[in-house]
Amino acid sequence: MYALVDAVSFYASAEKVFDPSIRNKPVVVLTNNDGCICAVCPIARRLGIPKFKPYFQIKALLQKHGVVVRSSNYELYADLSERMMNVISRYCDNQYIYSIDESFLQFKNYSGVIKDWHQYGHEIRRAIWKETRLPVGVGFGTTSTLAKAANHAAKKLTGYNGVAIIDNAQSAKDILEKMDVNEVWGVGSKISQRLKQQNINTAHQLSMQCPKIMRKQFSVITERTVNELNGVSCLTWDDVKEPKREIFSTRSFGQRIVDIHALHAALTTHSTIVAKKVRRQSSLIKKLLIFASSSPHDENYYKQAMVYKFPVATDNSCDIAKAVSLVLADIFMPGVRFSRCGVGAIALESRHYQQPDLFLPDNSNPILMNCLDSINNRYGQGTLTLGAEGKSDSWEMKRHFLSPQYTSNWRHIPKIRC
Amino acid sequence: MKVIPIYIEAGISGFESPAAEYKELGLSLDKLLIRHPNATFIGQASGESMQGVGIFDGDLLIVDRSLTARNGDVVVANYNGCFVCKLIDKKQARLLSASKDFAPVSITPEDDFQLEGIVTRSIRLHHQAPELTACMH
Repeated sequence: MYALVDAVSFYASAEKVFDPSIRNKPVVVLTNNDGCICAVCPIARRLGIPKFKPYFQIKALLQKHGVVVRSSNYELYADLSERMMNVISRYCDNQYIYSIDESFLQFKNYSGVIKDWHQYGHEIRRAIWKETRLPVGVGFGTTSTLAKAANHAAKKLTGYNGVAIIDNAQSAKDILEKMDVNEVWGVGSKISQRLKQQNINTAHQLSMQCPKIMRKQFSVITERTVNELNGVSCLTWDDVKEPKREIFSTRSFGQRIVDIHALHAALTTHSTIVAKKVRRQSSLIKKLLIFASSSPHDENYYKQAMVYKFPVATDNSCDIAKAVSLVLADIFMPGVRFSRCGVGAIALESRHYQQPDLFLPDNSNPILMNCLDSINNRYGQGTLTLGAEGKSDSWEMKRHFLSPQYTSNWRHIPKIRC
Repeated sequence: MKVIPIYIEAGISGFESPAAEYKELGLSLDKLLIRHPNATFIGQASGESMQGVGIFDGDLLIVDRSLTARNGDVVVANYNGCFVCKLIDKKQARLLSASKDFAPVSITPEDDFQLEGIVTRSIRLHHQAPELTACMH
């Protein structure tokens, strides 16, 4: 048996943990730079507040309903995620943390121990709620894909109340019939569009397809997905979550930039963010895209992008920052009021399958990079930076509606009235 | 059991600092004070109503959500959208202060009320901690 445990609108729920004054209010959370809505709590959802809309477009609607707006408080979410995952880990000896708020569990040889999965699911929910004040949904299934489908039902379909189980053909049919094919784990938006053209609209219809034909038309992953929907376990958790093929860091400036040093600092910071993400998935950068532009609403719209190709693929922040310095002069234009810039790793290679070059030295410095990442993970982003990142914060993320860092900053710990 | 690796050195390299081998053995206040780290949070007391049980304005409160409150426990609760620290009177559904200047508060069905956790420790800072100064007022 497999299970997927995940939090109900995690970011919005996390905002309510240490702020009891908003527990019964509609809450939404905005993305980086307060751009879009990325989480809507159930109360706000019932008011019809849509997800993924730009904030400025629905500002009036939010005000009308008295919706509480928050910027993304990553420090808080990371801490609560760790607590939640630790509580979940007590319930199974094989846990796989799939994302900040999702965890798979695989139960091998538990049939003698757990008699009632339904009750067990509710036990997990109760423990997480009691200990962390986060609401979760629990889905059980005979495969990972079915566990994910059951989890969807537990949270979204009426009558399930937070726990759903798919352990036979009937319970599978009941849930998969009500599930859109694009909600199936491993079916991307492109594949689901093509499936719908063939009149395969629900997860149940997908499960009725011939796996071999699906493999020919789509991919081996789709074939396995069909098998999984029929209770044949064949996906590993990593199959569906491939390492990213491109990694970008880009953002609009809080204020326009006209100075080459400020642009240099911003681009260098983006490059170190990309480098860190690249290291986290054990990749190396072969090609780096570096770009900057004025606003498309400006009269003389200016945009410049350069690709830097590394002779030897690297994950060394210093090398990547050097590449930025080399192309800076070609990107900067005096007189342009830059509103946006960014850096993207557009060709990545795996660290594990690296062919060394006979003539070129390998400049990667894993010991130094490991040290850099450990210090920044322990003491917070930006504790240790490259000199070229500068100290100016005028271009940093806009987070106007940021809640306190209740669990990671002494000055922000919750006040308790006596 | 903890294995402490000690290397046998040859040649004239001097002695290692004897302290170097014992780094792991220091006392940890976290371990002493926090039994259930995933279910525990730290808050700061604000007000005078709990002085009878030794909780003063500005004290740190260690709150464990995993424990079940017994009658008379020092608890933290969400009372109408605000974290409060009180003694719980489960029999009469009341929040009691540990000070004669504050009357008991009855919890009614109209109130928004949830128990948040048990105060397992409170910490008095006899010298100001600079990390906390922004919260004192």
